[in-house]
Amino acid sequence: MNLSDPVLLIALPLAGSLISLVGKLLKREIVPCIAASVLVALSAVPLTVQAATVFAGSVLSSQLGGWGPPVGIGLRMDALAWIASAMIVGIGSVVLLSSFAGGEYRSRYFFFATILISGMQMVTLTDDIFTMFVGFEIIAIAAYLLIGFDQTDAGLLASLKYLILSTVGVLFFLIGVFLVYRDVGSLSISGIATAVRESGLANSRSIHLAVATLCVGIGVRTAFIPFHTWLPEAHAYAPHPVSALLSGVLIKVSLFAMLRILRTFEATYLNEMLLWIGGLTAIVSVVVALSQSDLKRLLAYHSISQMGYILAAFGAASAASYTGLYAHAVGHGLFKSLLFLAAGEIIHVTGTRNVYEMRPIGRSHPYLATMLIVGALSIAAIPPFVGFVSKQLATGAVGTPAVSYLLWATSVGTVASFVKVGRVALPGQQLASGGASREQGQAQQGSPLHDESFVNDNTSGGDRSTRIAPPSAIAMAILATACIAAGIYGERLAVSLSGILAGGGHDAAVEVEATRHAGADTTSYEPSDLYKGRKLLETLLIAALGAAVYALATSKRGHTITERISAIRPQLGSVLLFFVAGLSLFALFAYV
Amino acid sequence: MTWYLICAILAVGLWAVIALPNLIRKIVGLSMMNTAVILFFVYQGSLDSTSPPIVTDGSVDPSLVADPLPQALMLTAIVVGICIVAVALVIAYKLYERFQTLDVRELERMIWKAEPDEPK
Repeated sequence: MNLSDPVLLIALPLAGSLISLVGKLLKREIVPCIAASVLVALSAVPLTVQAATVFAGSVLSSQLGGWGPPVGIGLRMDALAWIASAMIVGIGSVVLLSSFAGGEYRSRYFFFATILISGMQMVTLTDDIFTMFVGFEIIAIAAYLLIGFDQTDAGLLASLKYLILSTVGVLFFLIGVFLVYRDVGSLSISGIATAVRESGLANSRSIHLAVATLCVGIGVRTAFIPFHTWLPEAHAYAPHPVSALLSGVLIKVSLFAMLRILRTFEATYLNEMLLWIGGLTAIVSVVVALSQSDLKRLLAYHSISQMGYILAAFGAASAASYTGLYAHAVGHGLFKSLLFLAAGEIIHVTGTRNVYEMRPIGRSHPYLATMLIVGALSIAAIPPFVGFVSKQLATGAVGTPAVSYLLWATSVGTVASFVKVGRVALPGQQLASGGASREQGQAQQGSPLHDESFVNDNTSGGDRSTRIAPPSAIAMAILATACIAAGIYGERLAVSLSGILAGGGHDAAVEVEATRHAGADTTSYEPSDLYKGRKLLETLLIAALGAAVYALATSKRGHTITERISAIRPQLGSVLLFFVAGLSLFALFAYV
Repeated sequence: MTWYLICAILAVGLWAVIALPNLIRKIVGLSMMNTAVILFFVYQGSLDSTSPPIVTDGSVDPSLVADPLPQALMLTAIVVGICIVAVALVIAYKLYERFQTLDVRELERMIWKAEPDEPK
């Protein structure tokens, strides 16, 4: 077997899904589940083999079944695809590991989860946009079923809403594919790139329209404003490991796909708009996140907000901002999946999703509390955690002052809302008022809930409600270690990342450098400045302001405002209108 | 003219998805949109010629047959579309079983009122 063939990365998880499907027939369902997860983790082997070639600047490609273009399916792996792929494998295996906790998820779950992972690899590695469409739909079907996996009412509704919105989106993507096929005559990404460059088609209206529809289609999956409306529900009401997978990896995979398409068509005219959309996405969703009382909804809104940073970094379109983009995408993947896994355990332990009603768990579950704190400090960009490094890289490269103020304000909001979450990790017996009322609440509805967990795992009895299952604990430990390590070695990682981006078989970053728009900061950005005094002072200021904002938001007047904001829930009708508005916006830009 | 007709199908589908509150009608709308997109491709492929691109004896002049690539692609797209519709119908059916309504506004009202506070 040729280990340097990218197709292995798609085939291994797919084989895993096949095993878990067959495993449904076995008595001991856990064996095929373990086999499937091991297969996913084994993708790390071809990845390591391929790393050397890819980082040296060459591109690995493969034609499935030996069929050449335009008939066959081509795969292509460059350094950027490698980073995305490594993220999928890494976080994907960790999330699969954590799914073993509790024993609720068996072969059916692992079947869909491995298909999801395989689909993400397909979107990352494919070299033609029609296969990208197929990959998106594979991801989508697996995601719909996983979101509604627990069959809670809210989960099913969220899944259906996501389905309707994203199917409409992906149909527009397909229209984009059609326009490209009609005008360029090629569907392979490299073919389009050469055709666009040689024929000067890049500035024709129909290609602009094609880029707009392609972006809208992927935009729904990437969840930036105005296409974000499905995400809070889908990510909040999915099973906890699924939330970690969706928020940690899936939205970045879609984003990377969008970036690839924008680069292929050299659609630099969209940069300015993406910059602003990024800034607005970041600030608006952080305000909404601050108002949430449901822990997982809060985290989901923060995912949107962090995507705003990443999008703004893309819009800034300089070599430094690309470094920031990738750094923050990977960093966010690490700490957001950690946060979702920890949140899942916390919800299990405390028996409530409401942040205000949770009792502090610092004394009873010090391990879980530590994990939560690591995640919270990472997302709040406190050194030496990974969020500090990646957020500095991303915001530092945004040159437009107005947008960087928006991002700066977002950082303050992020700190504020994670002060709120971090409070749960404090030691202490009970929360003054909320805790007491919760105790009563549990007395009323607690018994059926606990009975259920008794039934779920007989072996450990009621232990599950007080103890964290080892698989989940290990998964969180891996992610937390990665967060800290990536934070401490952040400077070195950032330097090598920018090296990869500059040289690693990827010419677009250099190209865009030339066409960088005038407002951008032209001074070169040195990643080695990270831990210098000014940045640290700035972080201190942000943290202090964040605490102040938190105090404001929990004051009486602040509370009425946040209540009002969190009461706004996008209905499906308005969600679709948002979509149409976004579509018109992109189409408008195509015709300007 | 045909292009406008296909666009009209697309628009009707989009309108159904956006404006009709009934879940089944929304799903029918999705299906119509899917059909319209498929028609885009297939019609484009048939512009040069409408004779089927099937090789029966020896060779076939590629300029005399319909472009086979869009047709092949749309075969995949049709399969994908059917999967999506199937999943959508299953979820809609589950929701109908529980709430006895297909009106999405009703569903949202009922599910959001019972705030999912407990973990499972």
